[in-house]
Amino acid sequence: MFINWKLREINLKIVYYGPSLSGKTTSLEYIHSRTNPERRGELISLKTREDRTLYFDYMQFQMGEISGLTPRFNIYTVPGQVYYRGTRKLVLKGVDGLVFVADSQIQRLQENIDAIKDLNEDLVELGFDPNLVPLVLQCNKRDLPGIMPVPSLKHELGLNGIPTFESIALDGIGVLDGLKSIVNAVVIKARGNISPNPG
Amino acid sequence: MSQGLQLPEELLNEIEYILNHLAEKARTDTILLADISGQLISIQGIMEEGTPAIVAALAAGDVAAMAELSTRIGESDPHGSFFHEGETKSIYLHNIAGSFILIVIFRTETPIGLVRLFAKRAVEQLHPLTKKFEEVMGPPKSYNPDDFTKGITQELEDTFPDD
Repeated sequence: MFINWKLREINLKIVYYGPSLSGKTTSLEYIHSRTNPERRGELISLKTREDRTLYFDYMQFQMGEISGLTPRFNIYTVPGQVYYRGTRKLVLKGVDGLVFVADSQIQRLQENIDAIKDLNEDLVELGFDPNLVPLVLQCNKRDLPGIMPVPSLKHELGLNGIPTFESIALDGIGVLDGLKSIVNAVVIKARGNISPNPG
Repeated sequence: MSQGLQLPEELLNEIEYILNHLAEKARTDTILLADISGQLISIQGIMEEGTPAIVAALAAGDVAAMAELSTRIGESDPHGSFFHEGETKSIYLHNIAGSFILIVIFRTETPIGLVRLFAKRAVEQLHPLTKKFEEVMGPPKSYNPDDFTKGITQELEDTFPDD
């Protein structure tokens, strides 16, 4: 979170995290396509030749003024492939809220578990208490055969009690619901961090 | 840094003064100050709407990658500077104490030595100010944070109008 009291802007960072090919970039592309064009910036994707995310995908959108402050949301995805852990960690710096995009297919369970473990370790290394960072679970690929029931997936990931949304990112189903949920959670937390003026 | 930054107007004015001075002396087009997570803090010069935020985000990725590269070749202090020379415009990035990034964009006619000289001086002036950033500072007395969460539902509807 960064508040510029001169411009009366509050900048907030939301990161889409998850294993490779779980639908993070697809989700962001859908979000970008559905954001009011007057309120969104360009979608930036740093991809490899194979069209896989290299550094991150990034977009910014802003809202109208809320009580004298204009919120600007910086949305990132991380590269999901195992060997890009360093990049994932740098994208997590200064994060205000997280959407964990899980691949619902049974055969991807271990990758989901590994990703949530990496996420928690990276947050701790960056000085966060993982339990205090707003988190939303987006269970993606609900249209495919061989998917896990959502309660089982949540249990395996240790995410019971976390707001959860079923999605089919390719069709945009459930993507904006997850985003709106994390935006609300981040805004509520940010309000708590706008500390009283010591002077 | 995890708790975020709240910068009062006076501190931002001091930063702008330093960036303006650098722009004038080094004859640069645009100067940005961002934090290491890619959040834009201040800009001097003109860029297309939305571009400064993208430049800040990409610079943060670049600086992090360069710091990691430096470490891999045995450099103990990865908080240095580097630049990209383009055909018409070049970019100079300076990592300030591992927490902030000075981004200088200038035409290739401008000597890099000139940019380096004045950017280094600017960093020396910015460094003590950025230390103040670490202290979380409160909003102006006129601001009531209790009202901030109100109106978020309507704003979400306006931002994603067809949902």
